Amino acid sequence: MKRLLRRFSFWLLIGFILAGIWGPSLFDMNAETQVASPFSKPLWIGKDSPPAMTFTLTPKTRAAQFQWVYPAPPNIAIWGTVELNKPSSASLVWETPDGDRIEIARNEDLPSFNVDIDGRDMSFKTSLGLSPFDNPMEKLFPSKGKYTLRMSPDDLDIRSGAIHVRIEGARWGLLGTDQRGRDVFHLFLLGIRVSLLVGICATILATLLGVSVGLVAGYAGGMVDTILMRLVDILLAIPGLPILMVLAGIWGKGLWQLIVILSIFSWMGTARTIRSLTLSLRESAFVEGLRALGARPSYIMYRHLLPESLPILLANIALGVPSAILAEAGLSFLGLSDPRIISWGRMLNEAHGFGAFTTGAWWLILPPGVGISLICLVFLDLGRTLEEMADPRLRGGGKR
Amino acid sequence: MTRIFRNYWTRRIAGSIAVLLMVLVLNFFLFRIMPGDPVSTIIDPHFSPQAKMHLRSQFGLDLPLYRQFYLYVKSLVTFNFGHSFLSQKPVWEELKTRIPNTVFLLGTAFLLSAALGTWLGVKAAHKRGGVLEKVVLVAGSISFSFPSFFVQLVLLLVFGWAIPIFPIRGSLSVPPPEGIMALWDFLWHMTLPISSLVLLGFGSWAIYVRNLMIKTLSEDYILLARAKGLPENKVLWGHAFRASLPPIVTMFLLALPGILSGAVITETVFSLHGVGKFLLDSILGHDYPAAGAAFYLLAIITIICNLAADFAYGLVDPRIRLGRKME
Repeated sequence: MKRLLRRFSFWLLIGFILAGIWGPSLFDMNAETQVASPFSKPLWIGKDSPPAMTFTLTPKTRAAQFQWVYPAPPNIAIWGTVELNKPSSASLVWETPDGDRIEIARNEDLPSFNVDIDGRDMSFKTSLGLSPFDNPMEKLFPSKGKYTLRMSPDDLDIRSGAIHVRIEGARWGLLGTDQRGRDVFHLFLLGIRVSLLVGICATILATLLGVSVGLVAGYAGGMVDTILMRLVDILLAIPGLPILMVLAGIWGKGLWQLIVILSIFSWMGTARTIRSLTLSLRESAFVEGLRALGARPSYIMYRHLLPESLPILLANIALGVPSAILAEAGLSFLGLSDPRIISWGRMLNEAHGFGAFTTGAWWLILPPGVGISLICLVFLDLGRTLEEMADPRLRGGGKR
Repeated sequence: MTRIFRNYWTRRIAGSIAVLLMVLVLNFFLFRIMPGDPVSTIIDPHFSPQAKMHLRSQFGLDLPLYRQFYLYVKSLVTFNFGHSFLSQKPVWEELKTRIPNTVFLLGTAFLLSAALGTWLGVKAAHKRGGVLEKVVLVAGSISFSFPSFFVQLVLLLVFGWAIPIFPIRGSLSVPPPEGIMALWDFLWHMTLPISSLVLLGFGSWAIYVRNLMIKTLSEDYILLARAKGLPENKVLWGHAFRASLPPIVTMFLLALPGILSGAVITETVFSLHGVGKFLLDSILGHDYPAAGAAFYLLAIITIICNLAADFAYGLVDPRIRLGRKME
């Protein structure tokens, strides 16, 4: 156990698990919501491109002032409703540092003032006096300096409500945004869950299957052994990824279907290992003694042979997780997973399909890819450590 | 029964036939347990019952199951896969144009990575603890834990976008150039896919060969060869490598089917015109005849490679030829 605690990979795995469980709850919004304009860069690069900014006009503040020292942002969204005490005219005024006053929304004698503006809307462009092909952001953000958005007139009799403003910048968060303006860091944290869940569940299922087959084949021997091992041979000879693709394409794309499909085609190695182990244990003196005492085969198998093979089994599980994770990522990358489930493979699929190359959006490709590789390396290292603990002869790092 | 299975060859061939049968049965039933029968994907709900019946009998779906299976096996053996739902062309016509591309991509990548990996493995085993051994170990962990599509996407990002010297998609430029330039154009498009496969593949080879060679180099006859004063190169390649060759040859053939999975991913990442991409597109487009045919083709290649590996092992290892290999 001490050996395990000394491994860096063990703590990395703990970190991954914690980040997977609690990471996504640090965000106060759903991962599917658009937080910034598509393909926004991470916040920490390109300091002169505009960041994302949000603020709210309330009955108390009525105006918002902000300093803008960047080029025009890709888009702006303004939405919200303000209830008035009596029907009256109201408008929303945008003041630029040059002293221009642009009226961007207007209310004619209505009891509530409703604003719903998206910078890309045709009606918004025409209301600013622009053609549909002009960029309204260049009119709204002509220069650097202090901008003000205020409700007008100043003595507007407001009862309740608020108006929200979101300037969609070209920079966002730790890892930027994807093609739909979603926070990549949030998606990355959610991807940990899927990878770990699928990897560990599929491997445990496969191990259970493999152990049962291996124990039965090894202990029963004879015809049962022959049939089971031929089955193993046959399954090993079927091309892996193509059959997984066909099954995932036909049978369904849900997470649990994926786990079952992956485990059906990955138990054969475990079965072989356990079978050969059982074969050697079956003839050992203590099993013979148990038989002489009248122990039933099932008792011998589950109370003696299984615990005997437990350390090797643990190592086997840890070494099997990477292949399950890689298979899941591969299937999701090929688009054979549920599009509603966010996983690292899916992120890469979308990055590939939605032109991460034409925009050079490396922050869509590196995080999920590095995540998959890192988790696989962690499990490989843990598996080797467990293997060495089970069989001390392996110690010494290959210099045998 | 046991008498027959004693013989190594009979057993192996019987095993291959069993796998082939399993694949046939899988292929047959998989595409029949999906929601709706194949006809329901192409007929309109407004068709009259007579028209539906006519279509079903045209596709042979009104026959008893065993008869359908017989016809199905017959059609696969004669490579008559029917028509694709998507393109309405015969599936075999579609596959025929793709097979050479896939064979070229996988063959070249496989030969290069095996050659590079073997050479590096021998060198690394010869000089333990050197730079080459570190390279081998790092490359090995890359091929075991890095998803291939990730490495390929990064290569695309670097050589397709940051330093745009290679195309990011397709097997040929559009429109394709004429004559000899078409060949250059094709090679130019294949450079990145092939080098990515080599980069991903040579590590596992190198580690395998290295471990084999380390064992061989510690044998007594190597010591003897050195004591005789043979040049080191002759000891390394003529004695040690020659003795490790049989398992390497077997591994060579056993690894062949494994790279088929690489075809699917690589052809998808680089949008190449090949069998793997065809399989994926058919599955995503619910084009069952096409998907079934592509899967069948990949399975056949796998089975042939496995059988060839057994034969090759038998040829280079006399112990098996004499039929003494049990378990």
